[in-house]
Amino acid sequence: MSNRVAVIGVGMTKFMRRAKEAPGELAAQAVRMALEDAGLSIDDIDAVTLGTAPDAFDGVHMKGEHLIAGAGGANKPYMRHFIGGATGVMSPIHGWMHVASGKYNSCMVVAEEKMSPCTPHPAGAFITIFDRVTEQPLELTLIHIFALEMARFMHVYGYSERDLAEISAMIKRNALNHPAAQIAVDITADDVLNSPVLSSPVKRLDISPTSDAAVAIIMVNERIARTLKKAPVFIEGVGFRLETAYWCARDLCYPDYVAMAARDAYKMAGVVDPARDIDFFEPYDPFDYKALHHLNALLLDKSGRTVKDLFESGNLHRDGSHPLCPSGGALGVGNPIAATGLMKIAELYFQLSGQAGKRQLQRRLRRGVAQAWGDLMQAGTVVVMGSDGASPVTKSRWNDMKPEDLPGTPIKSVDDVPNISDAPDLRYAWDNGFAISTYLDGLKKGKIRGSFDSRTNRMMVPARPFSEIADLAPVTNYFNIPDTGVVKTFTISHVNWDSSPLPKGKVNIFAVIALDGIVEDMGLVHKLGDIDPKKVKIGMRVKAVWKSESKRTGDILDIKYFAPLGRKKAKLNIEQIKPVEVDVLSMSQKLGKIPLSYRYTAGVGGSKFYTDLANGEINGTYCAERDEVMIPPAMFDEESFTMLDPEKDARTINPGSGYIRSFTVVCEDRQGDLLDKKKVLVQVEFPDVAGSIFGLLQLKDDDVFEEGSAVKLVKPKKIDGPDKVVFKLK
Amino acid sequence: MGVALLGMGICGFTPTSTSLSYREMIAKAAKMAYRDAGVTIDLIDGAVSAEEDFPSGYSIADEYVPDQLGMVRKPVYTIPGDFMHAVASAAMQIETGRYDILVVESYSKASNMLTKDEMIRFAYDPIYNRFGLSPHWLAGLELNSFLSESGFTIDDVAEVVVKNRAAAIADTKSPYGDTFSIEDIINARPVAQPLTELMFAQHADGAIIAVLGTDEAARKYARKPAYFAGIGWGSGNSILERRDHSLSAGTAIAAERAYEESGIKAPQEEIDAYFVSDAYAHRQLMHLEALGLNGSPGLVVNPNGGALGGGDLFEATGGARLYEALSQLRGEAGACQVEAERVLVHAWRGVPTDSCAVAILDSERRIS
Repeated sequence: MSNRVAVIGVGMTKFMRRAKEAPGELAAQAVRMALEDAGLSIDDIDAVTLGTAPDAFDGVHMKGEHLIAGAGGANKPYMRHFIGGATGVMSPIHGWMHVASGKYNSCMVVAEEKMSPCTPHPAGAFITIFDRVTEQPLELTLIHIFALEMARFMHVYGYSERDLAEISAMIKRNALNHPAAQIAVDITADDVLNSPVLSSPVKRLDISPTSDAAVAIIMVNERIARTLKKAPVFIEGVGFRLETAYWCARDLCYPDYVAMAARDAYKMAGVVDPARDIDFFEPYDPFDYKALHHLNALLLDKSGRTVKDLFESGNLHRDGSHPLCPSGGALGVGNPIAATGLMKIAELYFQLSGQAGKRQLQRRLRRGVAQAWGDLMQAGTVVVMGSDGASPVTKSRWNDMKPEDLPGTPIKSVDDVPNISDAPDLRYAWDNGFAISTYLDGLKKGKIRGSFDSRTNRMMVPARPFSEIADLAPVTNYFNIPDTGVVKTFTISHVNWDSSPLPKGKVNIFAVIALDGIVEDMGLVHKLGDIDPKKVKIGMRVKAVWKSESKRTGDILDIKYFAPLGRKKAKLNIEQIKPVEVDVLSMSQKLGKIPLSYRYTAGVGGSKFYTDLANGEINGTYCAERDEVMIPPAMFDEESFTMLDPEKDARTINPGSGYIRSFTVVCEDRQGDLLDKKKVLVQVEFPDVAGSIFGLLQLKDDDVFEEGSAVKLVKPKKIDGPDKVVFKLK
Repeated sequence: MGVALLGMGICGFTPTSTSLSYREMIAKAAKMAYRDAGVTIDLIDGAVSAEEDFPSGYSIADEYVPDQLGMVRKPVYTIPGDFMHAVASAAMQIETGRYDILVVESYSKASNMLTKDEMIRFAYDPIYNRFGLSPHWLAGLELNSFLSESGFTIDDVAEVVVKNRAAAIADTKSPYGDTFSIEDIINARPVAQPLTELMFAQHADGAIIAVLGTDEAARKYARKPAYFAGIGWGSGNSILERRDHSLSAGTAIAAERAYEESGIKAPQEEIDAYFVSDAYAHRQLMHLEALGLNGSPGLVVNPNGGALGGGDLFEATGGARLYEALSQLRGEAGACQVEAERVLVHAWRGVPTDSCAVAILDSERRIS
């Protein structure tokens, strides 16, 4: 059976709207701090696991690979794990697996998110989380799906916008004493209600801010934990569950998948009645309603009565019977997705070991639960931690931690520091396959098509070729179904997919529509039109308005929108059809792209490098632990994990003293097209310096070079990235 | 350790796969894997997928994992690593004693990604390493470093391609089997000299599923399981300026652990066949060096043709090697069959990484 696993140290940066540090530097600061907190060195760490949410935020493909050195994973067993927004609480679960399996004695668990490089706004990264064929053309983004869920939650459980505004204000106030907090403010429900409506019912202050930050925790087995001075806090239970990606196929009001994950964790922890056995709750709260939505599931109460009673009796406050997000949550501390989840785990550790300072809950705490959520209203991760009767720590730096004690350099604008811009050209042509080709063929003919799963008695829309919930049983019967249905939830949006405002007076109304003739809750997401936004109601009947036949292309936008059916009668015919034949014409692809661009801060090391480069200079950074000068300039040494200051520890390197360590002659450009003129890329080393610099070699026609040839740096005229790092032969 | 490979399934392994959506392709491979492992969906505790976001074209690829595996509402997560990293994670999960049977999934729809070079370039550090050049530049530079440090010649590198692509002719799932000479490889169109376009794997589409479980589950359900004797993984430095480009530190770290768990002292004597990442031909040689097989004669390496013969399947690539290894241990490798009771499967994540995984598999559980 599993080894018991304890958390024995925490590190974190400030949570910032925009950090000067590069992603790896953010992670390194958190890791260094966790090592100090636990009294360990990087050599004591057996393995490293890292959680970070979409690559689209930081703007690096295979972001986990990019973060290895910063996470302390260089030359170690290192693995990244990922469940979208639920990643941060998967992080300690994956760390738990490393140790509970007996594979490793210790594991560094790191969560990093740098959302600020994504322009014009990180929210834009979410346009491509939706199904690319059936949903993306509608230009939905995350705020829309949250708004649809929030409206449904309010409708079913009877919460008002003011109720939820009070939750937002309460959690943000909790953050006033969190040293990492990005936007801790003492606001009232009125402030939330009066903030601009972005996509009804969501207002600006219902939402957590986007953030840059990193958090690290160290997990060890019980044997090691008992030898350390600090009181360990043990992982008592873990659970994680993933729902179907067909998010329109289920009622969004209650997250069953979170409840299932919680049940798994409770079973392992021996929790019988969570409302009785758990002392405080850190559910994921990217939006205020989410804290309650998740708490319903964490208390395993689909009726919602327990949470409603606790809310109405004021018992969700920090001095109440069931404190909700005493950390200050994503709403107050900030929401650097994966790092938020791990911040909540850190809060469990702080509270249960008496290190929460002014946030310390004033009663004996035995057990807390943290939860994260993510993907398409779909993923739940849950961790229960317990104090195991250990006496609270009385002396801890965390008890007195002030914001200025935490690492991290907030900046106002990316233009305040050296920076690099880039826009990847990521284009696709997706194979639709048989079922979706049949579905799109229907749209072209002005029909909505489903397929019938006889095992579960469900008409499925969009048509699918197998039953995802009945053993992948084949589904072969396809039908044209009515294009009428009922609005299950809706939002009136004032923003585009990239968070930019719609023109004044214009709104988009998105709705989930349960189509007639299929099981309730099952339907599709689309726009509403031909209606006064004020008159839209949950439960209203609507009908598809199609483009004219000549303009239809076999696309979800062949339906212009759904309009009120009024008193007209719906035709409820369901007719079986012959699906498309498989041939190269019917199996056409759908074109798509990821439409993002990025502005990266050069980071602390990179700022030094580019500032020097502009002057035709090179500085290394002296690392006392190695007794070596390192290039490029570094904020940390990835081997000893000592922190460095590229300014104070700068050592001048003669830019004319380089020699070619290795090289390649490149014949293709970044797209793979042939270059008119081949380019030579060189790795240049300098005498008595650890590391190297990559750059292009400027050559005259008669120049000859080889490994070892002496080169010197060329002072660039303009600097906009690595292509301006140029050497020439001496 | 007591983790076994109960069975596997595949679908695709073609340069394009127009008639199947990724969902349809994965569902087909999953049904094959479950049948092969002798399990029904209700017996499976959860799934681990090996996927990155951009190859799939989704910002959160993890969302689209559970449905086509029949794993809706089960414990599922993604490892953005090679298939073999996900296998390692699933094995750890089983070793906690709380899960008995897990599925590992990965797929490639490389043919749907129209700007692959641009995407791989996007994996480089934007501040120091993201040049306006082919992302193969690092492989070209690595090749030069390797040749000057290791004693291998460019002919040795070309010979890897000649051998692997020839071996793939007999492999039923490999699309790139063919007959080349060493000169063909060296004189092919240059990409990042001395690297030519025949020195790295072409992409292919395909889905791969593995079913892992406890030894008890293997004995109870599986027709012909294989047994993991050891699994390790490791990463070299991600800061390219301070990485030694003539060797694979990630492989050495992974191998050390896998050998230790398996009790292997002299791999060349104890392991019968090696399934090693050859996404770039020089990397096969570099990986064998890091596996401690320096100069060992007569090694059986990539008898089914490796990725050069079978295609680069992005994150699924290591899964193809595992599939080949399983078929060899079972004696079901057809014209590619070699004698093997203990094999090594190695995976590497491609440029710009040095992240690798190593697993040792046996045809029977050995009591150490």
